[in-house]
Amino acid sequence: MSYRTLWSGLVAAALLTFAGSTSLLAHHSFAAEFDETKPVKMTGVITKVEWKNPHIWFYLDIKGADGRVENWGFSGGAPGQLMRRGVMKDALKLGATVVVEGFRAKDGSNNASGARVTFPDGSNVLTAGTQDRLPGAPAGGGR
Amino acid sequence: MKRILLAGVLLAAVCAGGLVVSAQNAAPAVQGIPRTADGHPDFTGIYQWPTYLPGDERGRSAATTFDRKNFSPLKPGGEAFLEPRTGDARHDEPRDFCMPAGFPGGILEGNAMQFFQTKDHLVMVHEFQRMTRIIPLDGRPHRTGLEPMFYGDPVGHWEGDTLVVETTNFTRWQLDDYFYTNQKEYRMHSDALKTTERIRWKSKTAMSYSLTIDDPKIFMRPWSQEFEILAKPEWDKQGLFEYVCEENNRCPGGKCETK
Repeated sequence: MSYRTLWSGLVAAALLTFAGSTSLLAHHSFAAEFDETKPVKMTGVITKVEWKNPHIWFYLDIKGADGRVENWGFSGGAPGQLMRRGVMKDALKLGATVVVEGFRAKDGSNNASGARVTFPDGSNVLTAGTQDRLPGAPAGGGR
Repeated sequence: MKRILLAGVLLAAVCAGGLVVSAQNAAPAVQGIPRTADGHPDFTGIYQWPTYLPGDERGRSAATTFDRKNFSPLKPGGEAFLEPRTGDARHDEPRDFCMPAGFPGGILEGNAMQFFQTKDHLVMVHEFQRMTRIIPLDGRPHRTGLEPMFYGDPVGHWEGDTLVVETTNFTRWQLDDYFYTNQKEYRMHSDALKTTERIRWKSKTAMSYSLTIDDPKIFMRPWSQEFEILAKPEWDKQGLFEYVCEENNRCPGGKCETK
């Protein structure tokens, strides 16, 4: 077998594995509530934080292309899960401008999952629940 | 006579060898672990269910589902293991409506757990959904006359320094929390499920937690998966966090409340 054939085979196997894993989504509430085909990355100002079960919610005023400001809600993990990971409520400060990545709510409302929050200095916190889908990452599939 | 003597010596040697092998295969006793007054290992404490496994990206967990490489083949008729999704969120996603994850599904969530052990009981309180299991340790038989339960009926007994917990009397429910194939099905156990947990200290800071799934309506034979539970004494002062699912469940079944 030539190296080219072997390499092609390995690449094909890797692609098949990845394709298989991305078809397998995680978590009941994530898949029931959010659309993994609609990733969002939005910049806005934090207006409210609900550090409550079963999932935290934080809200941003987001200015659209038309200049209108709309308030969006973003859902993260359970407070206990986040705090055990070292993500505390005071990481999300009212009035802070942040970038939030997640996936749009299935019902088309101004809501999304909020998996990662990035601050102006480039640092970020993972606000995702244990099984939430991370934008740009393959699902933990094949199990 | 000499032959009989030789046979006896050989037999004794084989037996001694077997004892040595058995001793080597048994879990080595961990020195310095806490023990109760009656000498059994004391599992009282606060612990972390494995949230991250090697190779997992930060924030994701592959320890929250069973790995299908451990599964035994399905029996004929075991197709009920895969429950078709109907599109009705209350059927497909009961947890989304704050229904319990049950056992063993609930224990797989990546949260803290706190164990309280007395001479007669081990109480496991799981931070996720505040799932609580009260396990008698005196080797009593299972209760009878109960309705099937989400968490089953557990009874425990000791095998050396290993606590063995056998649980029966389950209602048919989700085995774990994972979309198995093409998002059209999820994994169920039957009401014939019996689980066996084997819990022992591996070291002074980590427990081996082995879970055996024996569901004769679904699988050809029992299968097991082992997890490692980490002791987190530094969490003891803070304790478990509260979990009230109905507190702010904004998007049950995908329909978000207006805020």
